[in-house]
Amino acid sequence: MTTAKHQYGRTDLPAEQQTALRQPVRWELFTIGYTAVTILLVATVVGSSQSMKTAWIEDMLSLMPQLVFLIALPFVRRRPTTRHPYGWHRAMSVGHLVAGVALLAVGLNLAVEAAVGLIKAEHPTIGSVNLFGTTVWLGWLMVAVMVVVVIGPLFFYGPAKARIAPTLHNKVLYADGDMAKADWHTNAASIVGVLGVGVGLWWLDGAAALFISLGIVHDGFRNTKAALGDLMDQRALAYDSAEPHPAIDQVRGILRALPWVDDTGVRIRDMGQVLHVEAFVVPQARDAGVVQIREASEAIADTSWQMQDVVVTLCDEIPEEAVRPERA
Amino acid sequence: MRRAGAAVVLAGVLALAGCGAGIPADPDGTLSRAAGGELRVGYAVEPGLVDAPGEGDPSGPVVDVVREYAASIDADIAWTAASEESLVTDLEEGAIDVAIGGFTDQTPWSDRASVTRGFFPGAERSGPKSAILVPLGENALLTSIETHLDGEGLT
Repeated sequence: MTTAKHQYGRTDLPAEQQTALRQPVRWELFTIGYTAVTILLVATVVGSSQSMKTAWIEDMLSLMPQLVFLIALPFVRRRPTTRHPYGWHRAMSVGHLVAGVALLAVGLNLAVEAAVGLIKAEHPTIGSVNLFGTTVWLGWLMVAVMVVVVIGPLFFYGPAKARIAPTLHNKVLYADGDMAKADWHTNAASIVGVLGVGVGLWWLDGAAALFISLGIVHDGFRNTKAALGDLMDQRALAYDSAEPHPAIDQVRGILRALPWVDDTGVRIRDMGQVLHVEAFVVPQARDAGVVQIREASEAIADTSWQMQDVVVTLCDEIPEEAVRPERA
Repeated sequence: MRRAGAAVVLAGVLALAGCGAGIPADPDGTLSRAAGGELRVGYAVEPGLVDAPGEGDPSGPVVDVVREYAASIDADIAWTAASEESLVTDLEEGAIDVAIGGFTDQTPWSDRASVTRGFFPGAERSGPKSAILVPLGENALLTSIETHLDGEGLT
């Protein structure tokens, strides 16, 4: 790799990420089209089944991360200016937060609705439709629609998005793919609910609705928590928000290997797609200066496309909150 | 694991489809009780649809539809007259099985009773569609009535 001239608030992505970015944009557009058809199809059979209604609203909510991703993308690409010296990377986190809160609020609302229906023992009505002169129980159509529409998220776009997300270090994309992969729970639950009504177990519909809405609440909580963490400048985490970002170890290793360095510490925060790195260095010799600093920041910037906004600073003591090598 | 889950659901669907004759079922078994026995019908007077000529049983196009339906499930009818609101309460309390009157398929009572698809009881096939009310969630009875209406070409 050639020595990178590192840039502050960098906006242009390297070739691999640019290619990787074209894919999810296509996938998101495909998903929006597919989901729109799903929503229309389910609307024709939704009837007064609470589980079908909940699944239907979940389909609508599943459009949120995709829209957020597509809306945030042009902002993220903007160059930093004097007014916005850190660039616009946070747009992705803001979108992530909006999507998370929306899921949480609607999910709670649906959960309460389902629980109240169960407590009041509301028996769901599923009658029949006249399909080309034949009377067909609407429940069969509900089951058929739910089986057909699960194909997309389960086998096509869900796995594809979850595959691309790590390359791009994009949490919105990961959350979206993750939710799509889990979408079959919803379809399976609503099928169980409808068939339960079919055999006369009216409460299975409400129970399925409750199960689905708790799934939405769970997604909402997880995403809100992850987005808030990033906005609150928590330590950078990997794309699935499960572990510390591997870059933390990498940066520490690089600094440690420099001959003029006595002690080091690092703070890394997640700006959405790229990382903001602040490295603290206690030099061995008192004459360490701009040349060493430049070499250190370029060595760090060289390791990953994500680390382009790197600040290395000399100090006589490492701040307590910075990650130190001995914690390795 | 995901495939296995899908397979279980699919197997369940097929198993239920195999015994499809019993679906949908009534949680409270209204249809199976009425068939071959007694269908308790509540009616509210609506001129031109449900008329009550002084003494005796009601008459009118909607009444005829219910009579034909009752005959199709081999049931005798026990008539009760009341206002629409009382009929809905009777449905909720299980005092009657079916309510007729001036109900249309846009009836505001749909929160408290299950409503059949709309139908034209008489020869005139325009204006608001009539509907029959059954107890909430008695889907076998509901579907049975709708199947009868479809069969008579009234929908």
